[in-house]
Amino acid sequence: MSGSVATERRTGVLGSSVPRKEDDRLLQGDGRFTDDVEPARSLHMAVGRCPFPRARIESIDVEAAAAMPGVHQVLTGVDIVARTEPIGVLRPVPGAVQLPFYALAEEFCVFEGQPVVSVVADSRQIAEDAVEAIWIDYEPLAHVTDTLAALEPDAPVIHPDRMESNLLASNPQHRGDAEAVLRDADVVVGDSFQIGRVAPLPMEPRAVVAEWRPGARELTAHVATQVPHLVRMQLAESLRLDEGEVRVITGDVGGGFGLKLGLYPEELLACRHAMDLRRAVKWVEDRLEHFRASTHARESVHEFRIGADADGTFVAMTDLYTTDLGGQNSGFGSAQLSSIVFTGPYRVEDGAVERRVAVTNKTPVGAYRGYGQPEVNLARETLIDRLARRLGRDPYELRLQNLLGADELPWRNAAGALYDSGDYAQCLRMVAEAIDYERLRAAGRGPGEDGRYRGVGFTCFVERTGYASAKFLANRGSRYGAHESVTLRANRSGGIDLYTGVSTFGQSNETAFAQICAEVHGIDFDAIRVHAGDTGATPLNTGAFASRTLIAGSGAVREAAQELRDKTLRIAAGQLSVEVEDLEVVDGAVVSRTDPDKRVTLADLHRAAIIGQGLPADEQPGLEATAHFEPTDAAYAYGSAAAVVAVDAETGEFEIERFVLAHDSGRIVNPGAVEGQVRGALAQGFGAALTEELRYEPQSGQLVNGTMLDYFVPTASDLPAVELLHTEVPSPVTPFGVRGVGETGTIPPGAAIANAICDALAEYGVEISSLPITPELVWRAIRKAGNGGESREG
Amino acid sequence: MDELIEITVTVNGTVHREQVSPRMHVADFLRRGLGLTGTHVGCEQGVCGMCTILLDGDAVKSCLMLAPQLDGREVRTVESLAEGGELAPVQRAFKEAHGLQCGFCTPGFLMTATALKESGRSLDREEIRDELSGVICRCTGYEGIVNAVDRVLNGDAVGVEDER
Amino acid sequence: MKPASFEYLRPESVAEAVATLDLYGGTARILAGGQSLVPMLGMRLMRPGAVIDINGLGEELGRIEARGSETTIGALVRYSEAETSPVIAERLPLLGTAIRHIGDRQVRNRGTLGGAIAQSDPTGEVALVALTLGATVLVTGPGGERELAADGFFVGSYANTLGPEEMITGVRFGVVPSRSAFFERGRKHNDFAVLSLAVVATPESDGTWHDVRIGMGGMNDTPVLARAAAERLEGARWDEAALAEAATLALRDADPPEDVRASAEYRAHLLPIHLGRLLAGLAKEPRHG
Repeated sequence: MSGSVATERRTGVLGSSVPRKEDDRLLQGDGRFTDDVEPARSLHMAVGRCPFPRARIESIDVEAAAAMPGVHQVLTGVDIVARTEPIGVLRPVPGAVQLPFYALAEEFCVFEGQPVVSVVADSRQIAEDAVEAIWIDYEPLAHVTDTLAALEPDAPVIHPDRMESNLLASNPQHRGDAEAVLRDADVVVGDSFQIGRVAPLPMEPRAVVAEWRPGARELTAHVATQVPHLVRMQLAESLRLDEGEVRVITGDVGGGFGLKLGLYPEELLACRHAMDLRRAVKWVEDRLEHFRASTHARESVHEFRIGADADGTFVAMTDLYTTDLGGQNSGFGSAQLSSIVFTGPYRVEDGAVERRVAVTNKTPVGAYRGYGQPEVNLARETLIDRLARRLGRDPYELRLQNLLGADELPWRNAAGALYDSGDYAQCLRMVAEAIDYERLRAAGRGPGEDGRYRGVGFTCFVERTGYASAKFLANRGSRYGAHESVTLRANRSGGIDLYTGVSTFGQSNETAFAQICAEVHGIDFDAIRVHAGDTGATPLNTGAFASRTLIAGSGAVREAAQELRDKTLRIAAGQLSVEVEDLEVVDGAVVSRTDPDKRVTLADLHRAAIIGQGLPADEQPGLEATAHFEPTDAAYAYGSAAAVVAVDAETGEFEIERFVLAHDSGRIVNPGAVEGQVRGALAQGFGAALTEELRYEPQSGQLVNGTMLDYFVPTASDLPAVELLHTEVPSPVTPFGVRGVGETGTIPPGAAIANAICDALAEYGVEISSLPITPELVWRAIRKAGNGGESREG
Repeated sequence: MDELIEITVTVNGTVHREQVSPRMHVADFLRRGLGLTGTHVGCEQGVCGMCTILLDGDAVKSCLMLAPQLDGREVRTVESLAEGGELAPVQRAFKEAHGLQCGFCTPGFLMTATALKESGRSLDREEIRDELSGVICRCTGYEGIVNAVDRVLNGDAVGVEDER
Repeated sequence: MKPASFEYLRPESVAEAVATLDLYGGTARILAGGQSLVPMLGMRLMRPGAVIDINGLGEELGRIEARGSETTIGALVRYSEAETSPVIAERLPLLGTAIRHIGDRQVRNRGTLGGAIAQSDPTGEVALVALTLGATVLVTGPGGERELAADGFFVGSYANTLGPEEMITGVRFGVVPSRSAFFERGRKHNDFAVLSLAVVATPESDGTWHDVRIGMGGMNDTPVLARAAAERLEGARWDEAALAEAATLALRDADPPEDVRASAEYRAHLLPIHLGRLLAGLAKEPRHG
């Protein structure tokens, strides 16, 4: 029934910037975010948190707090350990020992901000009063916050009951013999790169509203999450409920970026309280909590090396890198994609990569847009520029020489990733042309009339989008699949209701899914209503992350829409006494191509099907279809960026005068939405590259800038102008040839800007090896180079 | 219990007489007291700007005012913009220019832009960016937002496709 | 992030406000623009017994008055009003320029000049301008009115000589030098300054400069005057050597802090460079205008 592949354009809606389905409600303040849900007589939860990076809880006295007027319940770690199971990790680090964690610390705290007590009261104000009235005796313990220091032999072991050191896992991969090749290489460049810890920072903080009806044994949890069906599983496990007793509802979500992926302690706590109190319990994270208790990201140290022949041919790459887990796992786990793309879009046969995961006394790290890819990109791409300088080669030419050609794809890289298709060099040529690289080069680096030096920086990247398969994931211990699912249900108004477990948090999924449905089915885009994110109403799916939603979801929508269309046409053929092949869906009706007077409206057909009257003899009543789709392979998006930067060599201050990105996201479903995704990810990329960094003071182990005032997220006045170019090479491994697009922009800013600054200051011999690139960092790099620097090239 | 204070405030044209706690900020009052959940709370630190409303016509951050301070004042929120289900020009511009994604910050931008429009000032794009810098968007990279506000203030076509 | 309990009081006059401050024995706080106070309440970094809302005292505190050579700005004048005030544009252009570096439109629509002085942020623009222009802070307390020179008013990070039972009613500026320049560098748009600089001076027809005052923000735990640098330039011709010397002399009055925005060392590095450039720009401007 669903065998035919419908990719021809029927409605013209696929590939156009239709207005988004999400917009009207959001523009009118009629979105339904979790904090907008307030059942009658809701109670409010506040959480008391450990103020130390590491401590033992000696005693907790809740008596005064519990006796305060308006306070309904206080829970401590002892209660939670007795009455819940540890929170399951959705994507554990492969090969790691289990570090189970409960929603409240029982005896040992391993990061500042870890939940220790929770209070439910008539109002949040009273709940916070009560948290203050709880007396907790802590014995501060020796802590370590620096990623590499945590792996030193003298570092305090954070989980001595389960680990002998703070090295949680080590995952090496290789192809060929990179070490031998490097030994024989004409030239080797290498360095250690520090990537700063950042906050994904969705504008809507996390939130939960929990209700329990004991007689019905039904827990309803409104949760601001990207993965309602996975949170349902985690809640059921931890609360010792059957999954059937748990319903997770996710309305509109105010941004996720990977942070709202998987269950957090507070969500579990609100549910536990609601079950005990038989009252609705709400918790909305405030920003002080957010900076300490929502997952952080990116922090890692990459020891990267590139070997090349004298003619510039890359012969081997290695990356030994250490990611920082924080004090314990988050509900999702730390970034894992640096390994898979470490060689980038280049022809490199021999390679070795090893991921180490270190435990430190900081907030747990989780997923964040890019998931390891921006980090490794900085290391590889700055080293390519250093190699070019070492060889006296132009970095643009050197890249062109080593980029995989379109005719070499598909190509398996040294980490085993299969790049599907694309013309990598085309993107690089496009950005060089856009900035008029030849003219810039001819003009020299300056200093110009304004006293500043000008440099150009390039970067090329591939980006893994989607998952290869459920098998790939299962081999790595992931507790979710690779598929997406959708249910389409005809309604009596002649429309289609589309049900998806993918929640709506800005990626325009409602629009894109409806576009695909309209394209395949023929129904008007406006006649499709999308219902998202309620586990009680949507088919079991995976969720929105890893740039996989559209890849997997489009396949499911296509199959379901095809099935629905086929049946609709069969019913119409019977009613109109024509052949199915003669029919098409036009303007809300099924019409004969040869005799346009023969038509029946979708509303009539839907009613007939729903009632079960007027159907061909062999048709069952009902008109709905559910489809599951698992892509066969991940699709690799790719691109190149160029930055032109003017640098003040006295102060280290710099200005990004131009930034051009050329990228390929395969077949584009909605150009406006794609541009929005790319620009948005770029803004986050610029933030992490230039200003954003969570800083811990090593002595006290405290987060020193955990407020919106001290964490420098870019405003509208802080971003450079960005010029976007794109190519549209369809991926052969995905429905419609789409590639994921949500994360692309996070990857290139750091490397392109670092390379441009170093290019501008080439005569000083300046090198940049860390993010964020602040003016002070550039000044220090200039000073170090001026002092003779230290050659770290190996 | 906190002593409640009686206030009379006009919100979106309706006069409300309410008892409010001084330790409730205006955003919480609008949301919980009046059920106007279009005004969002993003940081309560006066930085993110989600909670921007118009107070006697001026854009202000409603998390930075205490509820009793509304006594005798006139407030407009995002719920006031559309009339009879018809989007206001500023809302249409955001829709056409892809000026929103998750939509959480959108009410803050819409109210800031509304005050700008009513001020009658003509601004270039850099000035628009400066005027909008009190609201943070983490999704769009601001380009669509600036395009939308540019269109609202200056009437430019911004090169986006109109409704199909 | 919800405040602890407090009394909310709305006096109808400055006298009543001061009497209330007195009544609470220094545990009450004045609520003006609230742009700093309200989040501090929410974070429970401040737990006043009472919050005294003076926003109803616009008649007494909300005016910008030009009288003779003096300009008095009421404590409740909001940044946005000052930003667009023709009186300030004409008489205190330095203030008008500096205010545009404060916060954002919403914050400037609520924040007040009196509040800025009371907050005494070491990087505060209004405090820096008041200090540089030698303004007078007007204060009322249980003992009556006091006038405090801005020079000496700021005594530490977020600390000043205002008594716990006193409130600021306004800031008075005298005649200001004919030329001014302002510079600010932050980690992001209109963030707290890594470094801010205010310079005023009057050029004479003989090529010398007089009434030179240089203020620095972010270079100490209060806004401070670069006295040695100003002295070097007072009555002098601003040639390249003089400017370079003065720029370096500014470091004598600086003791920059180390924080998440910049190291002390980097602030000290930036100071002479940006001050030198600011002075050079001022010296290069047409001498009439």
